[in-house]
Amino acid sequence: MNTEKKELSINYPVKKRGFWQQVKENLSAYTFLTPMTLAWVAFGLYPMIASYWIVLYEWSGIGEPTRYVGLANFARVISDPFFWKAFRNSFIYAGFQVPIQLFLALVLAMTLNLKWLKGKAVFRTIFFLPSLMSRAIIGLVLGLMLSPFNGVINEWLIHLHIIKQGIDWLGDPRTAFPTIIAVGIWQTLGINMIYFSAGLQAIPNELYEVAALDGSNALQRLFHITLPLIRPVFLIILILALIGSLNVFELVLVLTYGGPYYATEVVQTYIYKFAFAGTEISGGRTEVGFASAAALLMGIMVLALTGLQVLIVTRLRRKRAEYFEM
Amino acid sequence: MVTRKFGRTLLYLGLIVGGFFYIYPFLWMVSASFKTLPEFARGGLSLIPQTIHWQNYLIAWREAEFSRYFLNTVALATIPTITSLISTSMAGYALATRRFPGRKIYIGGAVVMMFLPHGLTVIPVFMLIHKLGLLHTLLGVMLPSMGGTLMQALFFLGYYSSISTGAKTLEEAARVDGAGFFQTYWRIMMPLGRPMFATLGILAFISGWNNFYWPLVISLGDPKLRTLPVGLYAFRGEHITEWTLLCAGTTMALIPIILLFLFFQRYIIEGLAGAIKM
Repeated sequence: MNTEKKELSINYPVKKRGFWQQVKENLSAYTFLTPMTLAWVAFGLYPMIASYWIVLYEWSGIGEPTRYVGLANFARVISDPFFWKAFRNSFIYAGFQVPIQLFLALVLAMTLNLKWLKGKAVFRTIFFLPSLMSRAIIGLVLGLMLSPFNGVINEWLIHLHIIKQGIDWLGDPRTAFPTIIAVGIWQTLGINMIYFSAGLQAIPNELYEVAALDGSNALQRLFHITLPLIRPVFLIILILALIGSLNVFELVLVLTYGGPYYATEVVQTYIYKFAFAGTEISGGRTEVGFASAAALLMGIMVLALTGLQVLIVTRLRRKRAEYFEM
Repeated sequence: MVTRKFGRTLLYLGLIVGGFFYIYPFLWMVSASFKTLPEFARGGLSLIPQTIHWQNYLIAWREAEFSRYFLNTVALATIPTITSLISTSMAGYALATRRFPGRKIYIGGAVVMMFLPHGLTVIPVFMLIHKLGLLHTLLGVMLPSMGGTLMQALFFLGYYSSISTGAKTLEEAARVDGAGFFQTYWRIMMPLGRPMFATLGILAFISGWNNFYWPLVISLGDPKLRTLPVGLYAFRGEHITEWTLLCAGTTMALIPIILLFLFFQRYIIEGLAGAIKM
């Protein structure tokens, strides 16, 4: 007993010195972390905290924010019908763009994964190219092609006798949004194809060989091997695609600027207009506190959606692990 | 056998036709960039211009200030790529090979922050750049991305952790030879991390080249700071009918990325695929 106590009393100061000794021994590690940490605090942590704080002020963006209004900005965002219109549009965009492009990307990835197919690298490059490009620049080029005056897309469709008269793709409220969704699908299909390819290549080939020996057909292998095994990867791809499409900005800004008559206004263009450009809704003024409140609200919404999906992913992963253990 | 061959031919045909339409906008853009304005305005479906009108590129480069946009874009794509690789690889290495007090809190904090909702962070960043007196400088445009992203650091952390046993043996040997921590880093960890440097470097370059929101916001008060995407967007607003010049400009903006992809295809695809498997 006695000796034990003694040991403890000896041990205690040793432990305490041990902490500082550990710090001293690892000084170089702290040095290595310094540049990253400084940048992270200045351009990651501080802006995030400040973005919460700006929400509490009515502020035009010029000078320092001084008019404290509490949560009034949130109340205004929630009661603004234009916000909800943009909010709805963002979700409509995601609701159409994500399922269609993921379906096409999966089909394309499976096609380009076929063993006998030649020229895979070329096809992969072709379908992947738009994903690498600046969305703003893609928007400029497609804006020219979709022009109602001498746009080449109308010209083609008239030439092929599909339409008789040129369509104002981006100027007509009925066609503007579907057109933007189509452009969005075209632009992001390639990256999801690459993601799916990675998932497909991770499936062990033996599974297919064994299944083939058992006399299964291609369709059975698709439903019993391929689809179940890429499900966890699929959910990560789904999360990334959802976040990306709910935050769609450049394509809309460049192609329609949210028009005609707010038909294509999404949350990100709505925020941009209030924060920087001014809009008719705000009487041409910029309202940074209000825009920040809208941004934070959208951020929370997207986060909640992602959180829900992460929960599903982990549950499925656990189920799959149990399945393999058996 | 015959039906199989027929099916395969049909698939090839589908891929070729689909592929053509997929890159048609790029072919059209390049073609339009060589047309004269009257020829462009007349329309027509031919992708081959009647005469090759090089002048669009010269005019865009000199008079429409694309040379300035181009140089700004090159700066925004290269300098932050280099500095961010250094800062995030050092951080990732330290976190992977050292068990120092505060390590777990640091990693945990980074992960938590990635998942917190962000408001309009671009405004505080703008205020900070303003307070640093960098509002009308190229450094002000580059600074926010110079430290790199947390994602980059986590990738390095994962990579160096996966090779940490081998790395530690090498490091021990270097220490016996009298090399310090920094020397070990430059001589051992940099070469060991080469695949990660290549992949993350290329991805950082592409995202710097395509970056739109921040350059747009910071150049609102100073057109000199425009990058290619922002400059071309502004150009369209100011010269609504100079279509062929616009096409020459967009071609100049896209070609470096296309070349980069053709040379480093493997790194880009593996890097993106790696993000999914993590």
